[in-house]
Amino acid sequence: MAPAPCHLRSRVMPLGTGAKGGEAQVSVSSDESIVVSGLWKSYGAVKAVAGVDFTVQSGEVFGMLGPNGAGKSTTVEILAGLRRRDAGQVKVLGMDPGVDAAQLKSRIGMQLQSVSLYPRLKVLEVLRLFASFYSRPLDPLAVLDRVDLREKAGALTNQLSGGQAQRLAIALAMIGDGEMLFLDEPTTGLDPQARRMLWEVILDLKQAGKTVVLTTHYMEEAERLCDRVAVIDYGRIIALGSPRELVAQHFREQAVEFEAPGFSGEAALGEIPGISRVERDGDTITLYTDQVSQTVEALLALAGSNGMAVRDFMVRRATLEDVFLRLTGRRIRE
Amino acid sequence: MKTYIELVKANAKNLFRDRMTLFWFLAFPVLFILLFGTIFSNEMTVSAFPIGLVADGGEVAHALASTLGQTGAFTVQTGSEEDEMEALRAGDRRLVIVLPPGTDALLARGQQVDVIFYYDQQHQAVNQVLISSISEVLQEMERAMTGRPRIFAIRSESVQASDLRSIDFLLPGVLAMALMQLGLFGSLQFVGLRERKILRQLNVTPLPRSLLIASEVTVRLFMALVQAMLILVIGRLVFNVQVAGSWPVLIGLVLLGAAVFVSLGYMLVSFVKSEESGQGVIQLVQFPMMFLSGIFFPVEVMPVFLKPIMKAIPLTYLADLLRQEVTGWAPLNTPATNLLVLGGWLVVSLVLGIRFFRWE
Repeated sequence: MAPAPCHLRSRVMPLGTGAKGGEAQVSVSSDESIVVSGLWKSYGAVKAVAGVDFTVQSGEVFGMLGPNGAGKSTTVEILAGLRRRDAGQVKVLGMDPGVDAAQLKSRIGMQLQSVSLYPRLKVLEVLRLFASFYSRPLDPLAVLDRVDLREKAGALTNQLSGGQAQRLAIALAMIGDGEMLFLDEPTTGLDPQARRMLWEVILDLKQAGKTVVLTTHYMEEAERLCDRVAVIDYGRIIALGSPRELVAQHFREQAVEFEAPGFSGEAALGEIPGISRVERDGDTITLYTDQVSQTVEALLALAGSNGMAVRDFMVRRATLEDVFLRLTGRRIRE
Repeated sequence: MKTYIELVKANAKNLFRDRMTLFWFLAFPVLFILLFGTIFSNEMTVSAFPIGLVADGGEVAHALASTLGQTGAFTVQTGSEEDEMEALRAGDRRLVIVLPPGTDALLARGQQVDVIFYYDQQHQAVNQVLISSISEVLQEMERAMTGRPRIFAIRSESVQASDLRSIDFLLPGVLAMALMQLGLFGSLQFVGLRERKILRQLNVTPLPRSLLIASEVTVRLFMALVQAMLILVIGRLVFNVQVAGSWPVLIGLVLLGAAVFVSLGYMLVSFVKSEESGQGVIQLVQFPMMFLSGIFFPVEVMPVFLKPIMKAIPLTYLADLLRQEVTGWAPLNTPATNLLVLGGWLVVSLVLGIRFFRWE
């Protein structure tokens, strides 16, 4: 395979097509980059991954959504050849990560949840070092441009802020120009602006034909970026599909959400017209309704007569967050 | 190869950008050699050692006194045992030789003559050398008297025959110690990489682990060479310690010593979890080793039960090899024994280190 040119002329250009080379034009939508079936992994008595099956298509952005400790990281680390599985079948790019880890690692990029680097190396030096591990790396400066870290090229890695370190971690995952990227909570701890910038990077990667597997506990992120999402809880996939499908599957209603500290009148809520379901999570109450105006009217009347304090009132369409709440009875980030 | 060079560069940069590390890396050998050199060179700037001879006259005593005197390394005083012992205690003699009464007669009858050496423990650093040179003189006399032909024609040309100084004895010891500390404590760097999860970060890339280890070891060996050069150059410039042997051999020995202690260090830290506990384990190993190896204290003053330990530790053998190469003095063990023991330690630590190595 001839070395593929790296297209990095300007910041808005997608990254090089990398190892895909000439095959990129051939229909890629149907081939499966990742096949997982019956995956199990325990740490002592704790079952981190308890029987997981899914496939990821080549060129897809696949999200794993779930609370901390749901088994997302463990799954991703098994796929990237960093951990051994207890049971199950795994194929990544046609290889078994438990057997061909070394070969697999040269064709993927991986960003760990927390970045740890030689503290006294400069950003550009670290990128150059990591570039030397791959046969056809991207240009380190261009990658720094892409993650908006160019002005920190000469800074020591231990002087970076959390957000900058996170962006460097993603740059390190990109530097090898692998055909598949694993991003473990890429935007955790970033401010909204930096998060949006990274979303752009990830969408560019998708445009360039890369397969991206990312974990997150941000619903919005999953909805914006992912072609398909696996909702994970306690080591199991409890829902799988495109964000739109998942929402449509579980809700036709809209959500009316408010906070009512010390509220104890659930029974009265049930009387409100149009309501199909009530969820309560601490002080936050969510009503799902297909008749928004009647529901709101009745709710406000009820609040007025009860002397109930209603705060942070809002009406929105249902999201993945609601799906998670319906499936587990919990919110994702608590 | 490019990866290896980049790794070595990265390693070295990360290490030497830490000012404390850089400072101690350079200051440690300098301070040590200056400190010990100053302390011990005062003690013995004398060019001839005063020696007491206790004998009841006679030809043998006379011959011994004149032979020793002729070497230029000793001034011989004859006196009664009481006086000479008193002088030894007062520090006026370095050594007292006692010939039994009637030595000439014993010799004439072909009987064995027991010669006793008394010496002051305090100045042990060079006593070994003194005793061996005097023994040689005695053997030479015996050969002359018995008329037995020489089988081995030993021409011992002690490089600093007329100027035996402690610093000459100590410098190779300091060199050996520096190599030991560099190797043992250097392995903590690796524990740090592990503890700070940098190894984990590297593990997501296709970088082969063997390259990582190779680059670490390369940086260590380079540091060992720099420290050794510092010690030898300061020894030469400040204390006028000349290297009697060959430089290429000496450099080879420095690298061998560094390799032994680097692998020993890696072996030790494969059993610890954190940098702190690693520090503890290494202190536990290096501290006794420093004092039991005969670098600073003569092996004779140690209690007997410690002797097997002294015979086992690699530092003893490295110091002996280096001492012979630097000073030209006869080693305690044959070079072959020294090399064998060091090689044994190298192999054992490598095997155990690889077997128990931990990446996470």
